[in-house]
Amino acid sequence: MTPEEQRFLLVGAGLFVLGAIGFVTRRNLILMVLSAELMLHGVSLTLVTFGRMHQTNEGQAFTIFTLTVAACEAGLALSLVLSLYRKSHSLDIRLWSELRESDMSGPALDSSGDRGKLSSYEDIPTLTPAGIVPQNPPRAAAAENVPTSNRI
Amino acid sequence: MMMWIQAHPLTLVGLVLWAIGILWLIPGKKASKPRPHMLGVLIVAVGLVTFCLSCGKAQSELADDVMFWVFAIGALMSGVLMITARNPVYAALWFALATLSTCGLFLLQHAPFLAAATIIVYAGAVIVTFLFVIMLAQQSGAAGYDQRSSQSLLATISAFVLLGAISLTLQSEKIDIARPVVAAESQAATGGMSILSLNVSAEPVDIVPLLPGNLMSKADAKHPVGDLQGLGKSLFGDYLFAVELAGTLLLVASIGAIAIAPRREQGAI
Repeated sequence: MTPEEQRFLLVGAGLFVLGAIGFVTRRNLILMVLSAELMLHGVSLTLVTFGRMHQTNEGQAFTIFTLTVAACEAGLALSLVLSLYRKSHSLDIRLWSELRESDMSGPALDSSGDRGKLSSYEDIPTLTPAGIVPQNPPRAAAAENVPTSNRI
Repeated sequence: MMMWIQAHPLTLVGLVLWAIGILWLIPGKKASKPRPHMLGVLIVAVGLVTFCLSCGKAQSELADDVMFWVFAIGALMSGVLMITARNPVYAALWFALATLSTCGLFLLQHAPFLAAATIIVYAGAVIVTFLFVIMLAQQSGAAGYDQRSSQSLLATISAFVLLGAISLTLQSEKIDIARPVVAAESQAATGGMSILSLNVSAEPVDIVPLLPGNLMSKADAKHPVGDLQGLGKSLFGDYLFAVELAGTLLLVASIGAIAIAPRREQGAI
């Protein structure tokens, strides 16, 4: 690997890592999507460098597909963000931490303990709790229930 | 690892300064008064310059080196300022600048079509839509959650450990790829068919016709890498089905975006 290729790969890795930091730390929904796009830039630069290293056009062809997927992702993410904003009137990701599975621990809180609360949960979809063994009714109760439904 | 540190001490210094600058600039856990901005920018800039200069000089001309430094430092600096911006509008604008610098790097890597396409798609469409949504959602200026970040110390340290590991791997001497060399003379002899030879060892090896990979994507002397004709042959030859799939993906995504986005009768945003 020549130094010429090496430095392009290093810049690509740097862009990827910056996007990762932004995705993990920022709390704004839109900034998180933008950070993901920055990670995609790093990947594109790496792909182009690899393609040139091997003297094929495949790296650039892959990057065009990455571009397509990124455009789709941006469109879908923005419409999701808009519908989330309509429910909570805020772009804070913390507001949606209660959508997690019921047996998972919550996100690490600030020292101020500020975790946003949504004003209402009326039409927000909830996840079915997974991993909990359902409580089967006892046999006797089940046996009692069956005839009643049959009788009607 | 010790050998890497001895061989590339500047890379390590650059990485450490860069991380310190990010930690300085990024909003803290509490919404406190921001630290002096220019100092953080200066630390990041010094770290980036050290990092990019230690990435290795090419044997090419000085102009290429200078272009690389300008675009690389521009891309990474705008990236840092984007993820640390306290105002999302500024973050989107810094992202546009990072995109432009990345397109400059694409140009240096002989990918002019990609540079143009990326500018059109990102700077033309994506950024404008993002800015539109930001201005729709945050009409009252920067919000409280933009002044805080979660887990910034842990995230920065682990990310830079990852970046250090990547640089260690890339800068180690062990990586040696089998590099195809376009044999121009033999190509003339066979009448236009591209024949690649491997120079794995010092002495010229017999002509090995194929590296693993797709046939129509190979570059030859007539169509070097990034040539528009070669790229089109690769896309519509080897990857024709993938192009069709990508078109379908765009259709599905646009239908999904229309279906997910809130409608007018559901109330105002």
